Amino acid sequence: MARLRPYLLGILGLAAITFPFLWLQLQPDFTNNTITVGWAPTHGLQFFDDLLPVFVVALLIWIANRANRHWHWDAALTRNATWQKAGGIWESWWAWIAMPLVLCGPFLFSASTLGLFTNVGIYMLLALGLNITVGMTGLLVLGYAGFFAFGAYFFALGQQSISFFPWWLAAPLAFPLGGLVGYLLGLPCLRLRGDYLAIVTLGFAEAFRETIRNLDFTGGDQGVIIKTYALFRPILKINGGEMSYVFTALILFLAVFLVQRLYHSPVGRAWMAIRENEVAAASVGVPVVQMKLLAFSLSAAIAAVAGVLSGAKDGFVSPAMCEFQQSIMVLAMVILGGLGNSYGAMLGAALLYLVPEYLKRVSMLQDNATFTAVVPSFLRDSLAHLADYRLLLFGAVMVLMMLYRPQGLLGSRRRKTEILNK
Amino acid sequence: MFLQHFIHDGNDMSSGSTLTEIIIGGVSRGAMYALVALGYTMVYGVLGMINFAHGEIFMIGMFSCVFAIGLFSSMWGAHVALNLGLGMVVAMIFSAAYGYANERIAYRRLRKAHVLAPLTSAIGISTFLQYFIFLTVSRDSVNFPRYYSDWLTNNHVHFAGVDVTYLQLTILGLTLVIMTGLYYLINHTRLGIALRATAQDQLMASLVGIPVNKVIAFTFILGSALAAVAGVMFSMYNNVLVFDAGYRVGLKAFTAAILGGIGNVPGAVLGAMIIGLTEALTTLSFGSEWNDVTTFGVLMLVLLLRPRGLLGERVADKV
Repeated sequence: MARLRPYLLGILGLAAITFPFLWLQLQPDFTNNTITVGWAPTHGLQFFDDLLPVFVVALLIWIANRANRHWHWDAALTRNATWQKAGGIWESWWAWIAMPLVLCGPFLFSASTLGLFTNVGIYMLLALGLNITVGMTGLLVLGYAGFFAFGAYFFALGQQSISFFPWWLAAPLAFPLGGLVGYLLGLPCLRLRGDYLAIVTLGFAEAFRETIRNLDFTGGDQGVIIKTYALFRPILKINGGEMSYVFTALILFLAVFLVQRLYHSPVGRAWMAIRENEVAAASVGVPVVQMKLLAFSLSAAIAAVAGVLSGAKDGFVSPAMCEFQQSIMVLAMVILGGLGNSYGAMLGAALLYLVPEYLKRVSMLQDNATFTAVVPSFLRDSLAHLADYRLLLFGAVMVLMMLYRPQGLLGSRRRKTEILNK
Repeated sequence: MFLQHFIHDGNDMSSGSTLTEIIIGGVSRGAMYALVALGYTMVYGVLGMINFAHGEIFMIGMFSCVFAIGLFSSMWGAHVALNLGLGMVVAMIFSAAYGYANERIAYRRLRKAHVLAPLTSAIGISTFLQYFIFLTVSRDSVNFPRYYSDWLTNNHVHFAGVDVTYLQLTILGLTLVIMTGLYYLINHTRLGIALRATAQDQLMASLVGIPVNKVIAFTFILGSALAAVAGVMFSMYNNVLVFDAGYRVGLKAFTAAILGGIGNVPGAVLGAMIIGLTEALTTLSFGSEWNDVTTFGVLMLVLLLRPRGLLGERVADKV
């Protein structure tokens, strides 16, 4: 009992401070311009009911963790993984098997699934890019979507001013340009402590969004329509959706290759040193500012390319692309997947994009016979509503990950083998 | 063209506003930002971390005040001064409780972790609280009950040919009182000494018998209560409450804290005034929709020219 007391007190306290928001409802009185508050228990019950599947999953994870204390079922995963120490380009042998499989996608999936996977690819690219700064170098970036939107708008506005400006011209140009923007933005704040970068990028994304919303030639809130070009289509005999899927996949492979090579180079080692201890890194001769700038510019450049791809895929760009929620979502992907591990970040991207998307689809499954047979009735509605709760859950996941598993699902394996095991 | 923006900005300025009135509007905005910026700067001063969830504490203050006003008016009718005053107290208590819970849950265990960890966890708390209010209270904006704010916003004081609303006077007066109190607290009380000692060196402070955990919790509680005051004032000033208001104001207040030199209390106030005035002048010359852009410009300029802020000192990083 005495052991449980702080927890009970904590739960009581939390119940008290969330009480009005959960169990009361504001009733504005528009005639007198006053307000009253009414008792609305269904309101709070609905909230907990919708979150029921989450509690179930959390309970399962907790049980698995308890069990792991005695049986160590994940020992094989966490054991000192020397077999994977920097093995050249064959290091990720499974990537060479995955590549042709992924490129077969157009033959395997329907058009809508393919569109979904193209988006996953774009988010993977974003997570990969953000992971360079956040995971490998240990600098927080909060306005990453700003660079994403920058790439997209560069593409869109380029098309407006130049008559022939297809995505495959825009993407290679967006890479250095995005990098340049990142460099200029990083220059004043990377000389300082890491925290400043977070707020400056956040401010940048906000300022960029406001600018494109207010200027006339950027189309305001509606955004800009992009003409998708069909140059390769007659040669390859594939439609627009398939084309954007294939090229997103190819660019993703290229980016993974580039990032992994850099990570295993002296540059990657320098990034890691900065993450572990900036002062110590500087004292052994790591050019800290240049390395941080390089990491950040590379992130920005990758985001800009992802922006071009997204614009080419959707056929339009809008200020919603650099909303704060977007940045947070990508950050949550990196943190959930694994800070400092490119594959982890990509896994996080796939999970955090696909799970809410499929949850949205669950609402359409309500009268599907197998679905109703497999899933108990009290979970069905909750699953359908859960997509609304995704940002709430992202927030909770970020806190819980930091408290209980700061390295993410797949942490940096190199960090584990080279630093923690010594 | 200018008139349009003035109307959008609620009671920031009326149609016949002079430059002086616009500046007063900017200063009262700055005063509200200052109250929020103090929370950022105090936590940074003591813990060396950025409490990104502070904006959400401000937002919680806004909403709990309206809830309290609603509750009291259903309990004993609409007494303006009583309900508003009690609403403010309830808002401060709630914000303080959220600030404490935030520190207890998301930061305390991460105090010795890598810099990124508490920062990320703060972002998590911030997102969580925003969407908690979004899901449980309202997805759209809620209007502050005008019945309670009308007396403050519609009455003016004519002073040297300038119109100042009662609300602006209240904001300025309250901010002044709070600043004085805070100055006294930090420099002339035992608690203030404990606070400064903890900020300098937590280990040494604990060795001489200062309850470091309690002092840190107190910092969060104090900052959160100040944010609640700002929140209530802000919701009356703009007549609107939104779930992401805290994020927007928090960004401004944080910029203000950096501008003045983060960790520096008078600096935060100075920075907030500059941000408030920048906004007022931007509204005058370009329109309020450019506020974020100019604020960001000011931030970049300061980081380029005086990276430690206007009043900040250069401190070596600790290993």
